[in-house]
Amino acid sequence: MNRPPAEAANAPRVILEDEAPPTRPPAPRLDFGWEQAVAPVPPPRLPSRWSGLGRAAAGLVVLLLGLGALDAANFVLDQFARGTFTGLLTLGVVAAGFGLIASAAWVELRGLLSIRAVDRAREAFARGDLQTARTEAVRWAESVPEAASLVPALRVAGSTEELRALLDSGPLPALEARATALGRTAAIQAFSITAVSPSPGLDALVFAWRGVRLVRQVAALHGLRPGFAGSIALLRRTVFDAATVAATDIAVDAAARALLSNRLLEQFAGEAAAGAVAARRMLRLARVAADACRIIPTAGSGRV
Amino acid sequence: MAVPDPFDLLRPLGLSRPLGLLRDAAWTAEQLGRSALGQEHLRLAVTGLSRSGKTVFITSLLANLLAAGQGRRALPALEAASGGRLRDVRLVPAGTQTVPRFDLAGHLGALAADPPAWPGRTDDLSTVELTLTLERSSWLGGLLGRRTVTLELLDYPGEWLLDLPMLSQDYAGWSAATLDRLRREPRAAACAEFLSFADALPAAAPPEEALARRGFVLYRDALRVCRDELGMRLLQPGRALNPGPRGEAPILWFFPLPHPDGGGLSDLLRQRFDAYLADQRESFFEPYFRRFRRQAVLVDVLGALHAGQAAFEDTADALAAIAGALRDEESWLDRLLGVGPERVAFAATKADHVPSRQRDALAALLGSLVGAGEAEAASVHVLASVRCTEDDVATLDGRPVAAVRGVLLENGRSARVYPGEVPLRTPEPGFWAHGFFRMPEFQPPRLDPAGAAGVPHLGLDTLLARLIGDLL
Repeated sequence: MNRPPAEAANAPRVILEDEAPPTRPPAPRLDFGWEQAVAPVPPPRLPSRWSGLGRAAAGLVVLLLGLGALDAANFVLDQFARGTFTGLLTLGVVAAGFGLIASAAWVELRGLLSIRAVDRAREAFARGDLQTARTEAVRWAESVPEAASLVPALRVAGSTEELRALLDSGPLPALEARATALGRTAAIQAFSITAVSPSPGLDALVFAWRGVRLVRQVAALHGLRPGFAGSIALLRRTVFDAATVAATDIAVDAAARALLSNRLLEQFAGEAAAGAVAARRMLRLARVAADACRIIPTAGSGRV
Repeated sequence: MAVPDPFDLLRPLGLSRPLGLLRDAAWTAEQLGRSALGQEHLRLAVTGLSRSGKTVFITSLLANLLAAGQGRRALPALEAASGGRLRDVRLVPAGTQTVPRFDLAGHLGALAADPPAWPGRTDDLSTVELTLTLERSSWLGGLLGRRTVTLELLDYPGEWLLDLPMLSQDYAGWSAATLDRLRREPRAAACAEFLSFADALPAAAPPEEALARRGFVLYRDALRVCRDELGMRLLQPGRALNPGPRGEAPILWFFPLPHPDGGGLSDLLRQRFDAYLADQRESFFEPYFRRFRRQAVLVDVLGALHAGQAAFEDTADALAAIAGALRDEESWLDRLLGVGPERVAFAATKADHVPSRQRDALAALLGSLVGAGEAEAASVHVLASVRCTEDDVATLDGRPVAAVRGVLLENGRSARVYPGEVPLRTPEPGFWAHGFFRMPEFQPPRLDPAGAAGVPHLGLDTLLARLIGDLL
């Protein structure tokens, strides 16, 4: 330094705590007991916040089911007043109707839980939790015919790497090949329908319907029975993966349409070009849907 | 006569980069889409002058966020801001990026090693991304699964940030302003050899390579002395001090001239100046310094304060120049497209070098330095990315004073440091009477090399809660 050190009474300064000889061992590093201070605690039970939309939906369900049930109960009582046989018959009809509704709700719930199971398995693999990963892998293998033969080996696997290798050795590539085949079929259908359909609105409808069906088919391959709510959750995940490549699709689509803006060509080739874009999107959708359903993430996908 | 670039004519309208504009529009659309899907992606710009602690900040931020993702209470204020909904934090695996990846394990290992080492001077770009997984707040939203927020962070040499104000200057204007600064004390003494060389050059000096090289070497050496011995920060161009992995390419061989319009040598230097700025804009500022939504500005206020009046004023000038350049770069279209930063947090780093009762004064001083009260989106914090000291009391001339105690890096001895009084605002001239003081480097505290529990810090959680809490 060019300038002399400070000498004023209130100037900053370093005060050594001891005039230790050079041979003396260095002072221990400070220890704030950080590991103990930040020790993990179980995640708090969060109060479930009801948004405006959630309250409205729940109110509607309560009204529909509650008033429906009350109305049905009154009706059954009235029917019993008219005669026992009529009453029993009405009770049977009401029980069957509400039973079907309850079973549908149960199927939806199971479908949603099966999607969550994929998340659980991925999280377990990512953090190297062998116990959970093995449980989830065995549960998954039991539900997928292609993987059933691996169950004994999965049960005795000694590490998450071993589990991963077993799953990658056969069943997952086989499922991906089948997902690609499903995507190809959907692509041909989307291409054909888009090329001959009379309106762009119908194109979008057909594409959306075929896309949802494709995602559900791919999910079924992976042992998932997503149901309606599960399909929405799966679609959301799939759409997010697809979003990263959507910009390319839009650019290609716009370029194809711009190049084929000649009136004559437009008539014959324009829709076919749009159909080709739709078909390619369908193939990509099959691939990302398969990625979204895998119980272990694909290498480099960046997701757990 | 030089033909003006047509894009330069559109510059005042913010339309100088038609392709960049398309990219901005696509980026805004993508942000909206991601937000609707509950998959936010956020670029957090960590800006700071050299030696302000950017690398340590990013290391601590990553380690503590990863620990918080494992349920550890390493960032209580951020946890409160998220409503306890943070469930997981993971580093995004590397893809096919061409930019080096931030070496978290290496930096943590060096801090925890025996003897420990602080990260050296950053000499290249590096990036890292991490994904925060959160429970949704509403019951209905819970049906859609968990939300994620992906944070993208960039580490870079702080010297390069000072090139940002140059983007709005031409060679003549830059030469005049730079020479004016160099002629003022205490820089003038350090730059005497370069100044005498530049002043001796005739206006019509020929474009000889030997002259250009000689002038650059003298200028670069003068800048190094200003940085390393005088604590100056407003030193341009940044790559002259820290050329990065490409080394000192000929594009760097320019320096300010007293006669920048003389032809010959000045034409050669002007060409290199323009090419340098174009390269910095294209390879650094455009890809990495646009499209960020949150910004942390790290300032070593204490270091500047202890380095004396000239260094302190120079730091203030450098900060003002960077802030002004960021404002100028943001056009009305950027604001329309939402490209500019939504929140900015200024942080006085190395706050553990003053006792806790002085930290409010440190924050107030930083606030007055950056004029943070003028902008609603700006906040001021004190921060120690890695806490190395604890409060203690020292006796000076028989009276007790608040001090800090830590273990010195250089010899492993325990020492108390009285850092002096921190003024609440820009100090009066009398404050500087005590002269220069170099704050010693402390050893980091005992750390787990894997960083599983995070690292001890001061104020990192408050800073993050302010910066990204609303997104959690």
